[in-house]
Amino acid sequence: MDEPIAWAALSAGRSRASGRGIVGRSADRLAAVIVWMTAAAVSAVFLWLLSDLVRHGAGQLSWAFLVDPPSNAGRAGGIGPIVQSTAWILMIALGVALPIGLGTAVLLAENTSSETLSGRLVRRSLDVLAGVPSIVFGLFGNAFFCVYLGLGFSILSGGLTLACMVLPILIRSTEEGLRAVPTEYRLGGAALGLGRLTILTRLLLPAATPGLVAGVVLGFGRAIAETAALIFTSGYVDRRPESVFDSGRALSIHIYDLAINIPGGELNAYATALVLVMILIITNSTASWLGGRLHAQHLLS
Amino acid sequence: MIHDGSLQELRVLKSSLIVGSLSLALLVGGMVISGCGVAGADSSATDRQSERLVITGSSTVAPLVAEIGKRFEADAGVRVDVQTGGSSRGIADARNGLADIGMASRALGAAEDDLTGFTIARDGICVIIHRDNPITELSDPQVVDMFTGRLTHWDSLGGEDRRITVVNKAEGRSTLELFLKHFALDNRDVKASVVIGDNEQGIKTVAGNPGAIGYVSIGAAEHAAARGVAIKLLPMSGIAASTATLSEGNFPLARPLTLVIQGEPSTLTQRFIDYARSPAVHDLVRELSFVPAS
Repeated sequence: MDEPIAWAALSAGRSRASGRGIVGRSADRLAAVIVWMTAAAVSAVFLWLLSDLVRHGAGQLSWAFLVDPPSNAGRAGGIGPIVQSTAWILMIALGVALPIGLGTAVLLAENTSSETLSGRLVRRSLDVLAGVPSIVFGLFGNAFFCVYLGLGFSILSGGLTLACMVLPILIRSTEEGLRAVPTEYRLGGAALGLGRLTILTRLLLPAATPGLVAGVVLGFGRAIAETAALIFTSGYVDRRPESVFDSGRALSIHIYDLAINIPGGELNAYATALVLVMILIITNSTASWLGGRLHAQHLLS
Repeated sequence: MIHDGSLQELRVLKSSLIVGSLSLALLVGGMVISGCGVAGADSSATDRQSERLVITGSSTVAPLVAEIGKRFEADAGVRVDVQTGGSSRGIADARNGLADIGMASRALGAAEDDLTGFTIARDGICVIIHRDNPITELSDPQVVDMFTGRLTHWDSLGGEDRRITVVNKAEGRSTLELFLKHFALDNRDVKASVVIGDNEQGIKTVAGNPGAIGYVSIGAAEHAAARGVAIKLLPMSGIAASTATLSEGNFPLARPLTLVIQGEPSTLTQRFIDYARSPAVHDLVRELSFVPAS
């Protein structure tokens, strides 16, 4: 209910800002056509991919496929234990990365100036970390969590490795969200005599929700799509995990194995990929809806 | 109105913070409890440890051993954890004790005589081309000429006027090693148009390109061709490429799927190896398009 109003307000502001007379009207039109075409191309790629997945995979989908254990090397049976392992891995990854990421982002955005050497150094290293190939995180996770900390091939090792991997994305987008909050909020809060913690929790964090949500969505997407970081940490075992210390196969590794190593595994690879994409769509829309709601309430209040 | 909105927002934020910290607390709590469990019941933990077999190595062998492991688990009441990562890793893990058993998709070399290998199945490699390619046989020198770039068009072999697309395997694949060894090639001399990782990828690449030539496991190629994928298996030295000629031991380009151990195996390890070589798992071997080792 609140969302359309917020959007209307936003677009009204945008059209006011872009009104600039009659000069270059045809150029504007051309630019609009190009922008629409690029957007259409992106959507077309996604729809093509999705329809390909649905065409090949939808026939295999059933409730039994979602809950049964795989058999015959994944060509028969379902993906129940794999969905469970994936959920546990992601819960650990986000459960660890969220609080740490939020704290670091607050420190970077609120307690250090963007101009200081240390601030720049932290930011630069985060940007580099965000671009590090996931196999590097996988080898690090194997060496540190599996071997050095003795966690072995386990869901815990995989989750912690993914947490390290999504932290930079989470921190950077939350930080951008916090920086986008106008300084007046902070000044206004200070003028009312509110403490820094109160300003942070009651004003800044709610206002920075879109950034945080974007970070969670990006991080979740990167984590659920990950194979290279998990093959050496959470492992290949497709048994239903009994604890986080068991090895558990993630959805993406199952897809990779079925598509690459198992002759005749394509159909179930498609079906598993379809499940993964559906999980992604559902979580992304839920997160955006939740974030949009929070943000719209904020705009209205 | 104003207060209402911000209050609600605050409530949502608070609850999300509570949920976040709760889940963290749960996680830490779970870790502590399981930690205590392991520390408190040391003897049962070691018991469980000894009843777990860790097997790592070749991604070609891993699906087969994982299936054998599941059947063995049901029979023997132990746990078999299979991890993948390549033959080199399987051999390294068996050597340094990280795994009870290593998996390799090749026979052990002379530099590996500190290890013992047990062949559980055979896999053959064959040259594949697109189904619509009129070529029916290639001699070894012709294959070599194509892979080294001396032959670039199919018409010089009596085929169509089409450029040859050479599909090679990525470094580190035992299929690549086996192929290069058989044709006495050096990978630096191979003029590859496409570099692929695994069988299915190679089959997809060749099926999608009428000018392509590549090499993959016979089992995988036979399975794909039977399902109507547009590839053709070429005979080698006059011997048809099929799982039948492979199991008869006639096909020249074959590799053993090997379980690798170092030193004296434990009773459980020995039981698993015996089981993996027994007729009780031959159906699993055939299911994955390999041929049982006789």
